[in-house]
Amino acid sequence: MALKYVAEYRDGDLAKKLIQSIHDLKIGKIRLMEVCGTHTMSIFRYGIKGVLPKNITLLSGPGCPVCVTAQKDIDTYIEFAKSDKFIVTTFGDLLKVPGSSSSLQKEKADGADVRIVYSAFDALAIATDNPEKQVLFCAIGFETTIPTIAATLLVAEKQNIPNFSIHSSHKLTPPALAALMQTKGVELDGFLLPGHVSVITGTDAYRSVHEEYNIPSVIAGFEPLDILKGILMLATQSKMKRPALENAYPRAVSDQGNVKAKEIMNQVFEIGNATWRGIGEIPDSGMVLNKKFEKFNACSRFDIDIQDTKEPKGCACGEILMGLKTPEDCKLYAKACTPMNPVGPCMVSSEGSCAAYYKYNR
Amino acid sequence: MAENKVLLDHGSGGKISHSMMSDIILPLFNNPVLAMLDDGAVLDISDISSKKIAFSTDTYVVDPIFFPGGNIGDLAVNGTVNDVAMCGANPLFLSVGLIIEEGMLISDLKKILKTMADAAKKAGVNIVTGDTKVVPKGKADKIFINTSGIGILPDNVNVTGANAQPGDKIIISGTIADHGITILSSREDLKMTSDIKTDSAPLNYMVKAIMDSGNEIHVLRDPTRGGLGTTLNEIAAQSNVEIKIKENAIPVKSAVAGMCELLGFDPLYIANEGKLIAFASPDHAEKILEIIKKDEFGKDACIIGEVLPEKSGKVYMETLIGGTRIVDMLTGEQLPRIC
Repeated sequence: MALKYVAEYRDGDLAKKLIQSIHDLKIGKIRLMEVCGTHTMSIFRYGIKGVLPKNITLLSGPGCPVCVTAQKDIDTYIEFAKSDKFIVTTFGDLLKVPGSSSSLQKEKADGADVRIVYSAFDALAIATDNPEKQVLFCAIGFETTIPTIAATLLVAEKQNIPNFSIHSSHKLTPPALAALMQTKGVELDGFLLPGHVSVITGTDAYRSVHEEYNIPSVIAGFEPLDILKGILMLATQSKMKRPALENAYPRAVSDQGNVKAKEIMNQVFEIGNATWRGIGEIPDSGMVLNKKFEKFNACSRFDIDIQDTKEPKGCACGEILMGLKTPEDCKLYAKACTPMNPVGPCMVSSEGSCAAYYKYNR
Repeated sequence: MAENKVLLDHGSGGKISHSMMSDIILPLFNNPVLAMLDDGAVLDISDISSKKIAFSTDTYVVDPIFFPGGNIGDLAVNGTVNDVAMCGANPLFLSVGLIIEEGMLISDLKKILKTMADAAKKAGVNIVTGDTKVVPKGKADKIFINTSGIGILPDNVNVTGANAQPGDKIIISGTIADHGITILSSREDLKMTSDIKTDSAPLNYMVKAIMDSGNEIHVLRDPTRGGLGTTLNEIAAQSNVEIKIKENAIPVKSAVAGMCELLGFDPLYIANEGKLIAFASPDHAEKILEIIKKDEFGKDACIIGEVLPEKSGKVYMETLIGGTRIVDMLTGEQLPRIC
């Protein structure tokens, strides 16, 4: 089962040509943000920073779902895990993320029934298999993940499954970009826009942000040639002073995106405010259950209301997610905070920029 | 008729135990030392002049116990044969300890023991002592096997992870990640099919050929759990050197690379059971590579990197696009019960 279209996008000779073209631009200092955590990982995995001109700075953005999950939401998941009545189902990355006083992993070690799933449908199957228990699914993620969770709830509704609910901490990408551009101190010369999210949203979703802030914006895939091409396009726009919204990932991303997936998402969720870790509340940047599906809202169904708590002292996750700091600027990085003993979520998630720096760059 | 199953009595030391020994085990592991059935094996080494022996032990809990290309039995024999061989020694004797879960099919047990006997024969070692325990259902998972091995170390051999030297070329004896991906894809809950099979194989003849050739070799390791990436890190730290490898030189079967891509694994950290890494002085590396390539299990061998003089203890990789990155030790959850 050799995979097609993987090796082709890792070709060393083609990469050298792209790298040369980027150098040939002889560009002045620019700061580009790769919005998505998968881009961050790929940039480190292939050593892309080291082959770029010194004038190009790459900054990690707020596109790692675990990293931007508010501490309050983590505490909420942990609260459910503490109850004997619940099986808490989660994507693996969330397990180690510290809440204000515990983590799902610690609760699991203490006997809580916390299970890793690869999809919300697996969580629904657990609910069907365990009718005597309540099953909570920790619903985190961006536009990429939300449609499958919506599809799961459509099935749960249709099959009338009584013991399944979610706590939604879903986030939307374009409003976060707008919020970033309004944040004092944030200086960016271009966005490398996420590939997977854009498969769902389409290029059009970024048009209003792009037009309002007139910032170079290029959608890119995750292979090294995709990323180099995206950087070349951003640098060229910047050099020519012609900001545009371009798509360097046309093999997967269309202007409209995945219309069917968006329809499913909108059947179950509606736009609402969301709290981003380290950034705070961003209006209209989340997806909450709509009226018809409110019965799947675990917090209202079981009357759980967790108070907001202070994020750990010294942790710079928020500033890192906004491109204001790099992990190396954080006092805790690689000292008090390591993958074995993470303080902030950016060190936990496989897509977190602190984890990427630690793994590939020390 | 219901199939015969292992009973608690089979591990009692009584009549049924003895009949299992005489009917199943002895005919398979056929050798005069074991046939003495004493409490321990008495090994005659009067014709060996060496002053050093190598001794290693390992326990196998792989799940599932049968997988494409082998089973827990040959894994247990080859694994310990290779651990002894990686000391530069010539393995001669093995012990086998079986922990069997009550209710295991006798036919499955026979199959595993037959595979062990065949693997021992192929590696040229004798299983000279052993033990069988049966535990109640649910207290073990089908079968766990411990093997220990003794080998003879030729005089003047000094291969250890602490002996990597600046300038050394690093050879890998073939494609990486085959075993780990085989186990992973044969687990039922993944529902994947592929033609990948384990690389489990004895490497002692390969090692003997290298040793006999007189070429200068500094380190031998088999990159099992933790994979190539972790093993290279161990060597860099032990020897206090820096290692640089090239991503485009590392052989990975395309099917294995595809599975890794789908599952989000880096083949550098996936277990191997029939591969060795050799650090050889630059003048001798090509000759050693040729010797490895002549072995049945070394056809895809190649040079993947070298040792640099910096004392960083780190491993770097030149990536496919010409960038550089650190290859760290494996952190976080590893695939459980891979061997």
